[in-house]
Amino acid sequence: MTLWFLHGMLEFLALAGGMALLSLWIGGWSWVPDWLAARPWLLPLVTTVLVLPTVIAEPLIRFRVHRWELSGDVVYARSGWLSREWVFVPVGRIQTVDKAQGWLERLLRLATVEIRTASYAGSSTIKCLDYRVAAELAEELSRRAQELRDDAT
Amino acid sequence: MTAGQALPARSRLSAKVLFIDPIRMAPSLLLPLAGVLVAGGFSPRSFGFAALGVAGSVVFAVLRWATFTYAVVGDRLELTRALVSRSVRTIPLERIRGVDVSTPALHRLLGLAVLKLDTGAGGDKQEGELNGVTVAEAERLRAVLLARRAAPSEPEPVEAAPVVRERYLIRVPRAWLRYGPLSGAYLLTPFALVAGAIGLLFQWGEEFGLTGRDAWALAEWLWERPQLLAAVLVVLVVLMPLAGGVMYAVFNWNFTLRTRDGYLVAERGLVNRRAVSLERRRIRGYELAESPPERAFGLVRMWAVVTGLGDSQTRGQLLPVAPKAEALKVAAEAVGPFDAPLRPHPPVARRRRLFRAVAPWLAVAAVALVMGWGVLAVVALALAAVGVPLGLDRYRSLGHAYDGARLSVRSGSLRRTQATVERRAVVGWTIRETWFQRRAGVVTVIAGVGAGSGGYSALDVGARQGVEFAAEVTPEWVAPFME
Repeated sequence: MTLWFLHGMLEFLALAGGMALLSLWIGGWSWVPDWLAARPWLLPLVTTVLVLPTVIAEPLIRFRVHRWELSGDVVYARSGWLSREWVFVPVGRIQTVDKAQGWLERLLRLATVEIRTASYAGSSTIKCLDYRVAAELAEELSRRAQELRDDAT
Repeated sequence: MTAGQALPARSRLSAKVLFIDPIRMAPSLLLPLAGVLVAGGFSPRSFGFAALGVAGSVVFAVLRWATFTYAVVGDRLELTRALVSRSVRTIPLERIRGVDVSTPALHRLLGLAVLKLDTGAGGDKQEGELNGVTVAEAERLRAVLLARRAAPSEPEPVEAAPVVRERYLIRVPRAWLRYGPLSGAYLLTPFALVAGAIGLLFQWGEEFGLTGRDAWALAEWLWERPQLLAAVLVVLVVLMPLAGGVMYAVFNWNFTLRTRDGYLVAERGLVNRRAVSLERRRIRGYELAESPPERAFGLVRMWAVVTGLGDSQTRGQLLPVAPKAEALKVAAEAVGPFDAPLRPHPPVARRRRLFRAVAPWLAVAAVALVMGWGVLAVVALALAAVGVPLGLDRYRSLGHAYDGARLSVRSGSLRRTQATVERRAVVGWTIRETWFQRRAGVVTVIAGVGAGSGGYSALDVGARQGVEFAAEVTPEWVAPFME
C-alpha cells in the first residue's frame, strides 16, 4: 500500500511541478484568457485541489480491493479501484510465472508476481506482495503448474 | 525412425522454379536497369552492364536453388541453405500444426506449388516455406508430414502410401459467389488500385524526371475541373461492387472443405489455388460474423478458432460468405454442434448501449451549438438519431450461452460476431467492472482462450448472471470463490 501511495505522490508531484512550470510561461501566450494570464498561480493550485483527494483515496481503496488467493489449484486475484477486475486462472493452464521487482518495490521489499497463460485474458499480475510471500507464491505456482501441466491452450 | 528412411536423403526444389525466380525479381531489377541505361545514354557499355546485372541475378537464382535442400530426417524436417553462410532450420514434425499449399499463377503454369508450414511459433520468420515444389511432391510431402504428425508412434513405413480418408464436408456452389459483394470485402479494390497506381507513379516519376512541382500542377489542374474529379469518383464507386465481386470470385472460386486424417482442408481460389490444412485437434471453436446487409440476406462468414494459428480470420476460414443454415451445418460437422439459445442480458445493458451510441454525438452537438457551428450540430444530431436503432440492435445482439461442451458469446451490430468455443479451450476468466458498470450492476465476463483473438467477452451481463455463467462453464474453478 505504501507503494501506491508513493507512486501516487510521485505522479502528483510531477503533475503539480509541470503545472507550476506551465504557469511561468503562461503569461506570454496570447490565446490564454486574460483572467488566467493575470493569475498564473491558479493553475498549480487547482491541480493540487483536484488531484490530492484521489492521491490519498486511491491507495486506501486499492488496499481494500486488491486480494489474491490460491486454493484448489486456481489462482484468484482481484484488483483495481475505480474499475475492478477479477481474474481466475487454473494452475494447470499457467504457462509462465514471473517475479519482478521495480526500484520502488525493492526499496520497500515488495515484489510483483506475473502469471501468464496462452491468452491475454487469462493472465494476471499480483502487485505489491511482500517479497517473501511473492517468492513463495511464484515457487509454489511453478511447481504446481509443472505437475498439473496439460497442453495449456 | 532412422534418418532418410522414407525420403531421398536430400531433395531440392523443382528446377522449374528457376523460371519463376527471375520473373519475380524482375520488378526490383527493372528500375536499376533503366537507371543504368538512362544514365549511360544507351551506349553499348551500359547495355553490357545491364546484361551483366540480368546474368548476375540468374546466376544468383541458380546458386540459391542449387544450395537449398530439404529433407525429412527422423522426426524432423531440415531446411538447409548453404549459399554464403550455411544455415539449417530444423522443424520437429510434431510442431507442424498445419500445411498450407498454394499455387500462385506463375507456379500454376509450371505445375509448381508453395508449401508453407505452420508451426505455431508466431512471426513469419520462424515458419518454414518451400517455394517451388511440384504439385505432386507438395501433395506427397503434405501426406508425409501430416501423417507422421497424426500418428507419430505408428511403426509402419510411411512410403506405403498413407491411407487417405477423405470426405467432403461441402463444395460451395458457384451461385454463392453472388453473395460476395454483400460482404463488403474487396469493395475498396478500385480505390486501392488507384492509390497503388499513384504511388507507383510517384516512385517512378523521379526516375523519369517528374518532380513534385509537376504533381502539384496536375493536382491544381484537376482541382479546377471538379466535374472531372466527380466523374472519376462516380466511376470508382460504380466499379466498387463490380470489382469487389470479381475479386471475391477470384479468391473464393470453387471453395471446398473436406476432412482428411484428422485435418480439415479448405481449398479455394481461381488463379492462386490455396489449400490450408488445419489440424482438427487444435480447433477450439468457430466464429461467425455478419454485417447488416449480410444479416438481411441471412448470410454469415465463418472461421475456425485454432490454437497457435496467426491470422486466423483468413487462414482459418471455413467458408466464404454463405447462408447461415448451411454454415451452421458445416460448423456442426467440422467443429461440433452448438444449439443452446442465447440468453439475453439485463435491460440495464440496453440503456448502456443506447447511451454509448447516442451520448457522444449529443455532446458534440451541444458543444457545436454553444460555439455556433450549425452544420456540425446538425450532423451530430443526425448521427445521434442513427445511434438509437444502432444501440437497440447492439443490445439485441448481446447474448451468451453454454450447452455443456461449448460456450458462446455474441456482440456487435455493424459487425456482429458470435464466438463459440469449447469448454476445454478456456484458460481463465476475467471479470471486469468499471465504475459505471458497478453503478448499473453489470459486469463484463471475458473467457480467456489460447486461440483466435485470445479472449471472448460477454458484455454487460448482470453481476450475478456473469459469475454464474463462469461457474456454470467451469464450476471447479469459480465456485470456491463465489461469495
